Amino acid sequence: MRLFTAYNRVLLITSIAGLLLIGYLFYHTLSNYLNKQLDNYLVEELLEVKDYTTKKESFPAHTAFEDLVIEYHQIRQVSLKRHFGDTIFYNAKKQVEETGRYLEEDLQMGGQIYRVKIIASKIAHADQAKSIFLVIILPVLALLLLLLLVSRYMMKRIWLPFKQLLLNLKSFNLNQEQNFAQVSTSIAEFKELNDAIVDISQRVKSDYREIKLFTENASHEMMTPIAVINAKLDMMLQSADLSEEQSKNLIDLYRATAKLTKLNQSLLLLVKIDNNLLRDREQLNLKSVLIEKLQYFQEFTQQNGIVVNVNLQNHSLLMSRYLADILLDNLIGNAIRHNKEGGNIDIKLNSEGLWVSNTGANEPLDDKVAFERFYKSPSSEGMGLGLAIVKQIVELHQFGITYSYQTGVHTFAVFFKHHSANSPIL
Amino acid sequence: MKILVVEDEEILRLNIMDYLKAEGNVCDFADRFDTASEKMTLYDYDCILLDLTLPDGDGLKLLQQLKKEDKSDGVIIITARSSIDQRIEGLSLGADDYLIKPFHLSELSARILAVVRRRSFKGNDLIVFNELTIDIQRKTVKVNNLSINLTRKEFDLLLYFLANKSKVIAKSALVTHIWGDHADMADSFDFIYTHIKNLRKKLVDAGCKDYFHSVYGVGYKFTDE
Repeated sequence: MRLFTAYNRVLLITSIAGLLLIGYLFYHTLSNYLNKQLDNYLVEELLEVKDYTTKKESFPAHTAFEDLVIEYHQIRQVSLKRHFGDTIFYNAKKQVEETGRYLEEDLQMGGQIYRVKIIASKIAHADQAKSIFLVIILPVLALLLLLLLVSRYMMKRIWLPFKQLLLNLKSFNLNQEQNFAQVSTSIAEFKELNDAIVDISQRVKSDYREIKLFTENASHEMMTPIAVINAKLDMMLQSADLSEEQSKNLIDLYRATAKLTKLNQSLLLLVKIDNNLLRDREQLNLKSVLIEKLQYFQEFTQQNGIVVNVNLQNHSLLMSRYLADILLDNLIGNAIRHNKEGGNIDIKLNSEGLWVSNTGANEPLDDKVAFERFYKSPSSEGMGLGLAIVKQIVELHQFGITYSYQTGVHTFAVFFKHHSANSPIL
Repeated sequence: MKILVVEDEEILRLNIMDYLKAEGNVCDFADRFDTASEKMTLYDYDCILLDLTLPDGDGLKLLQQLKKEDKSDGVIIITARSSIDQRIEGLSLGADDYLIKPFHLSELSARILAVVRRRSFKGNDLIVFNELTIDIQRKTVKVNNLSINLTRKEFDLLLYFLANKSKVIAKSALVTHIWGDHADMADSFDFIYTHIKNLRKKLVDAGCKDYFHSVYGVGYKFTDE
């Protein structure tokens, strides 16, 4: 809900409720007051009737009263004191039914008891009430409407710097050199907000620079000692009197060093993707990259008797070539590594996405943690970074990825459609 | 060949120099920016191994200097920096190759040979080893003037061995050379065995002497001794 809408909604609800309440109270009081006036009039008329009856020992004729209807009924005993009420009666003069106010009282005349009912029309009074009501309520309504319009306009005007701030925030890019575009405003709160954002953006920028520097330094500091170990191993390998025992040690050392290298590379890669340091986007034909990859993995699949089925349509997308390589290496590499002798790999590519399925363990992966760093299935010999890297690459390019399992077949699906179109990273 | 090693990490530098000297190369070294700059101006080298991060300067500046002085030394950047931007920057400044640490000395040796060959033999790029003749441009191999068919990977392997004659090459170096950095398939070491077995068979069947020697499962040596 927008701020304007929220604000207007509250304003509208309270003003309508208040207006209704005030209108009701006002109308009620007004009609009560008018009824009282009518009642006094009726009492006066009744007194006249009483006077008449005591003097003349009979009731005045119906026609003696203007605008009034008067009825006499003979009754057995006195039961009613003076009584007022609302009624609907037939106005013989106008020949219509009208609302009216009546007064009933029992009278004694010549030993007989009569009930006298005098009815006065309320039409004139109701009209009066209506016009008084309208004269007061209509201007109030108009005033309210005006207030709403003014507040709407003011809200738009006053919040303009805020909107501009938002716009600038959205277009702020950590990777670009220019700083956050400031917004000049005379409103203190927005000024404060603007200053806070400027402050934060500068701090983030400097932190970001430090991270970049750290990445580079960490890479250099770790890779160089590993390079020394590697070079030493290569030199040891050249010694003429290498025994079988020493050779076995060398094999283990080579493997450990390779693993260390791989680990370091993977961690640095993750940091780089996290910090969006790999921005060599190009238009890639994923089909041809996939075909290349399958050739590259040929020996590995043939050796294990794995049958690779492909269903590839041409699909180009904007992607980092380097990361596309790593993505496919990891997905296909996993499909081979976690396969079984004589198993299958199915690869499907179309404009929607890429599906890599493989036969393998009869247990699904825990899809909640499968993509987390250093998670690995018990049978895995890797470091548990492959899928974390895959996920990171997928997220960087705003793709989606899912894992599913069905009777021994594990499927990873990468969807190329944007998850959320309004969160551009680049 | 005359090679200049610009590297501030002493142990690594000494190892590289030992390995290259054992192949009959003449090695010079520089561990600082200014000594490297001086030696590059004073002498001509067949190949310069250049570390980008030196204690007193940026290695890329040395590349620019070399270009300014219009020198034709081959340059291989050896660095721990692996970002693509830097790789592109290095190569566009005139470096011939880019090797990311850590690397195998055998790989370095093969790259040096490729760079020097590319620079000195234009078009006519033949390597001759006893009865073997290899045309790098056309990617053909002849044994006693008889052509044999090798797959691309087998050809790459043979070239790699020839660049490291009489040296023991670790299996992991061969794996990285053939399948790249991303290869960490657990059984990739077995594939190297298969490839070498096939290559050996093709060469021996064509009448070539068997130069391949296995070293206790840790590596291979290509030698005519």
